[in-house]
Amino acid sequence: MKEDALLEIKQHAGIYGCVECGRCVAVCPMADMYVNFSIAMSPRGIIKKALAGEDLIHDRNIWYCTECNAGTDVCPQGVSCRDLIRGLREMATAGDAMAEAKYCACCRKPFIAVPVEEFVFARLHNEPSNVFKILELCPSCRRELYLVRNA
Amino acid sequence: MTTYHTRFNGVRKHTTMSEPAREQTTVITLDELRPRAEEKKSFSEYFMPPRHPCILFDPQKCTGCGTCEMVCSERNVSKIAPLSASVKVLQDDREGKNFAILCQHCRHPLCLEACPTRAIEKGEDGIVRINKLFCVECGLCTMACPEAAPLRDEKTGGINKCDLCEGEPLCVQHCPENALTFTRGKAFRWIKGLRWTVQAISFLLLVIVFLGTFCYFKVGAVTLACPTGLLQNIASSRTIVLVGASSALALLILTVLAGRVFCGWVCPFGFILDLVGGIIPKKIGWPSFLKSRMIKYGVLAGAVGGSAALGFQAFCTICPIGSLCRSYGVQGVFRGAELAIVPTLASLEIAQRRAWCRYFCPVGAVLGLMANLGLIKIVIGANRCKKFSCQQCADVCPVGIIDRGLLREGVSPKIPMTECIMCMRCVDRCPYGAAKIRFRWQKGVPGIPGETRV
Repeated sequence: MKEDALLEIKQHAGIYGCVECGRCVAVCPMADMYVNFSIAMSPRGIIKKALAGEDLIHDRNIWYCTECNAGTDVCPQGVSCRDLIRGLREMATAGDAMAEAKYCACCRKPFIAVPVEEFVFARLHNEPSNVFKILELCPSCRRELYLVRNA
Repeated sequence: MTTYHTRFNGVRKHTTMSEPAREQTTVITLDELRPRAEEKKSFSEYFMPPRHPCILFDPQKCTGCGTCEMVCSERNVSKIAPLSASVKVLQDDREGKNFAILCQHCRHPLCLEACPTRAIEKGEDGIVRINKLFCVECGLCTMACPEAAPLRDEKTGGINKCDLCEGEPLCVQHCPENALTFTRGKAFRWIKGLRWTVQAISFLLLVIVFLGTFCYFKVGAVTLACPTGLLQNIASSRTIVLVGASSALALLILTVLAGRVFCGWVCPFGFILDLVGGIIPKKIGWPSFLKSRMIKYGVLAGAVGGSAALGFQAFCTICPIGSLCRSYGVQGVFRGAELAIVPTLASLEIAQRRAWCRYFCPVGAVLGLMANLGLIKIVIGANRCKKFSCQQCADVCPVGIIDRGLLREGVSPKIPMTECIMCMRCVDRCPYGAAKIRFRWQKGVPGIPGETRV
């Protein structure tokens, strides 16, 4: 059952077409974001592991991705690393695996990965501390909050 | 290198560096590749601030029709597709409320800080744009924005953000109810010049021209006295002099009518503090155990109690306003140690603006108690200003009573008139006329200035 779902995610992302050219790593914004950027957390590394059938759901490296679509745009085979990582994350949050997802304080849905949020917090370190209270909410809840307060 | 690098130092790996077989590669960071534009403030900007354009939204006029979304999406993707618009209209059907999420073009954009590829730029004209060449559509700008104004297109996955149509916004032109207003804000600030003039004149009069000064002076039949001095006088002599009481009443009545105008516009020591505070850079922080504004009431109680115990006006001997009037100026009574009081207390400005007035001044404490009963108040209509993205009122407030946290959440901050020194800097500075003086019993918030179409 779980293997079937995993296989479906992999096929939907089209990772079996990967030619390991590494263009996705060249455009990946994670290289600018994390100092400890390595092959293990790069899209190419994750796809390689997925092809080898390794256990990715319990891997912390899938939680660094920002879910941008830069890799798919340049991929000659149309492999969508975003869809792969999104599917893996959904399986991790649904199951009992170590899910490093950040849950919205209002609607209790996961909306961002913890390392990505840490990066955003670190970038905004000059801001007053009450900005982080707003960052606890997911974007749609933030907009709803503005609707309720200001309209 | 900024600090976010150091946060990850614990798990830092140098795979390329540590392997001896490979050559050492030079790593070019994004800072070197696309350096951030430095903020330059030209000399003329001190008098004439740049008038950056923005769109103001009036929620009471909005009907939630979504015309703005349609015209915006037509500009973005050349078809009517509200999902691809840079503006989002939210509807609350239960309460009949509508709200448009728009980019506010912040003074210090958080999205610009958070963007990992540095695709977001703030132009010279104040418009915050996403450079599509560098954008990878990761959505971190949406995560960093307090209003989540950069919108993710759910169909295509792209990020759309308002660029004000390069100065001629279509949504403003097509809004049927005029709920959206394109404005550049007001240009001229006349209160600033008026206040400095009044302060300088009153400084001249109180310190240099009139002998005997602010604490107690007499011109013909008119006598004026300092209310705090009077309190100490009563406490020390245990008698009430009616002439003195009525003369102290003049300042109190003025405070009830117009707030602590004395502190902001007349006080000669406040003038010195404003001058010094404008020049001295804020180097050190104010210690947190002294951050209570209640201290000044303690000082007042101590002054009155001290005079009752000692038999003379205890605080008046070290009062900076009094010592400024007595020992400086043409009358030339340079009185030794008293000279040191004003520079010592003025040096508190290195930590915070008007630190003495905020935390210690007992004269301000008496006036603050009266201003609390006062007739007027200052309101800031956060409903119709740029809220978190501007915060100029909080920047200029010398006593720091405008709550940035509330502004960031989009709520009108309530201004305690006990602390407000009525300098009217916020009224002067607000480009959109949201900060206004109102009577105490008036309700509602100021509207948008200049209800004109583009």
